Amino acid sequence: MVLQLKDVTKRYRDFVAVNRLNFTIEKGEIFGLIGQNGAGKTTTFRMILDLQDTTEGTITWDGQPIKSVSRDFLGYLPEERGIFPQMKVEEQLYFFGELHGMDKSELKKDIDFWIERFDLEEKRNVKAETLSKGNKQKVQLIASFIHKPAFLILDEPFSGLDPVNMELLKNAILYLRDQGMTILFSSHQMDNVEELCDHLCLLKRGESLFSGSLLDLKKQYGKTKLTVRTDKSFEVLSNYPGVNHVKMERDSQAVLTLEDEKYAPEIFDLLSNGNYIEKFSLDYLSLHEIFKEKVGAGLV
Amino acid sequence: MSKFKVLIKKLYKQKISSKSFILTTLLYLAVLSGFMFWSEIKDLIFSGDADTVAVVNETDFDIAQVLLDTDDVEYVYVDSGNIADKLKDGDYYAAFTLSDADGKLAAKIESYDPLPLNDQKDFQSALSQAGQLYAMSQMELSPEQQQLLLSSEPVITLNSLNETANDGKSAEEKMAGVWVSYAIGIIIYIFVASYLSMITTDVASEKGSRALEMLLVSVKPEVHFRSKIVGVFLVALTQFVILFGVLLLLLRFTDGGNKWSVVTDLLNSLSISYFLYIVGFLFLTIFMYLIIGALFGSLVSKVEEAGQVMMPAMMLTLVGFYVMLTGMGNPDTMLIKVFSYIPFTSGMVMPMRLGATDMSAIEPIISFVLLIATVLTLYFMSLSFYKRSVLTYSSGGIIEKMKTVFKVTT
Repeated sequence: MVLQLKDVTKRYRDFVAVNRLNFTIEKGEIFGLIGQNGAGKTTTFRMILDLQDTTEGTITWDGQPIKSVSRDFLGYLPEERGIFPQMKVEEQLYFFGELHGMDKSELKKDIDFWIERFDLEEKRNVKAETLSKGNKQKVQLIASFIHKPAFLILDEPFSGLDPVNMELLKNAILYLRDQGMTILFSSHQMDNVEELCDHLCLLKRGESLFSGSLLDLKKQYGKTKLTVRTDKSFEVLSNYPGVNHVKMERDSQAVLTLEDEKYAPEIFDLLSNGNYIEKFSLDYLSLHEIFKEKVGAGLV
Repeated sequence: MSKFKVLIKKLYKQKISSKSFILTTLLYLAVLSGFMFWSEIKDLIFSGDADTVAVVNETDFDIAQVLLDTDDVEYVYVDSGNIADKLKDGDYYAAFTLSDADGKLAAKIESYDPLPLNDQKDFQSALSQAGQLYAMSQMELSPEQQQLLLSSEPVITLNSLNETANDGKSAEEKMAGVWVSYAIGIIIYIFVASYLSMITTDVASEKGSRALEMLLVSVKPEVHFRSKIVGVFLVALTQFVILFGVLLLLLRFTDGGNKWSVVTDLLNSLSISYFLYIVGFLFLTIFMYLIIGALFGSLVSKVEEAGQVMMPAMMLTLVGFYVMLTGMGNPDTMLIKVFSYIPFTSGMVMPMRLGATDMSAIEPIISFVLLIATVLTLYFMSLSFYKRSVLTYSSGGIIEKMKTVFKVTT
């Protein structure tokens, strides 16, 4: 156990931003904090970063109150991109490294490594304000971990990135995890969370709806997503036993949401009728679907 | 290197190498040099262009002993005749016609274009002096009597019976105090206005660009706040040293050291305690406005709003400056006395009272202690508020922003 939030609450006069939040992050794992805008993610990050006080509850790092731990173990990439527009890329990275107590000589090797890895060699001596959004994001991400923090918080690291840069950043995050860094991150893009996170916490209006492993979350819903390729109509599929919802897609493909996975064999029999069937795939709901189900309930 | 030093180093390096710092320093240097070399510049631009003033003397009085040629005016003595034509043609800038009017000197000043105010004053002053001498000459006084009249200024000794008051200053000392205080007031006003703007904009820019959020992960808000104040103060000090250094060099090595001796005479007429107070008031006032600037910068959400929040502080400095200006005419008014105790204006007003009035030793001490207490109170209050405001983003006016900070952080 590295980071632990225990009954953490943040209250502003008549508004509760975060209510009795509990979760634990183990060393070297990637943990996702997901929720809609205003769910309390950034407030939670700020409390962990000691930028805001908690109203109640405790936050500990390795058993020590987080306030008593040196700030140099932390790295943070805020949701809104923020680097010094007038500073050159390389200068900026040295500055953030030095701010965390590192020498220029210590930093040089790592800065060279990350500049090359993120394909920023040509931008090394360029002012940050002239960079594209993607490149700014890369520079800011490097700045957030150039001092090799033990714990890195990434608030929406993929927003606004094209698929190529997104892949680059994803690989970098996995690389950092492999180096032993513990990472907490938030994202609206559930496929990224699903791909990167081992554990997660689902927030809705400051309340934790779930905290634990991704697999456990999926198991709560069971394997209820059935994808088939068939020429049967929407009406026919809707009338099959245990089918809650049918979505017709292109290429004769349909996605059925089942009440329970126990109905799958019966539906298979009805669809195939003893014949060859091109596609019949039963799976867990995606995180995106669970998110919509859990967080979006009552909103749509 | 400590985080505090890293932050100061970055700020200092960035500000010192900024175009605005270099340009304003060069501009101030140009103004200083222009001021110091004004007579040379004037000679260069207007060389040989002394205005010719024709004098028609219809009296027996030797007016040439009074109307002496200067760099700006050359007198020619002519008979009346075609003066109007020569004025029209530009041969003469002006013409004086001097005559006797019942034992007094009567003078008519003519010119083709209306005379500028300064020239009017100069001519009237010269003719007034000529009139006095003319009147004396009509009394048929002996040279000794004339000399006695000319040096008839009374010998005045000032003596204050109030034992708590300082020894009375001479009129010369007071005038020196007025001019030095005026210069100090301008320096404080310019530095406060420039660096208040610099610190407010800097904090607002970091907050607006969200770089502050990344910074505050590694440094505590109080360290960031202190680094801004100290960093900008060092930039101000650098500019001050450059300007002051160049000024001293110019004074010392131009005009054959004449200006230097005028300045040393001026400074010799002022006491050491006066200079200590001046330095104290100067630095404390700049510190106070830097604290206010950093606090106001932390209230805005984007750099474009910096001007709006700075306005109240700028108004305070303007009030101090204008009150100080009123003291140039009369530094003993109640207005000057009141504002010399108000910490936001005392830095500009108290030096004027110190240099140009007689007051008890306790008065500047009270004003100075009030200023120190205000700086300390503002510092600790601002620090506490800064921690809460620096990551709060809101819209509206300054009061509304403050309310939002209290609302979302309490």
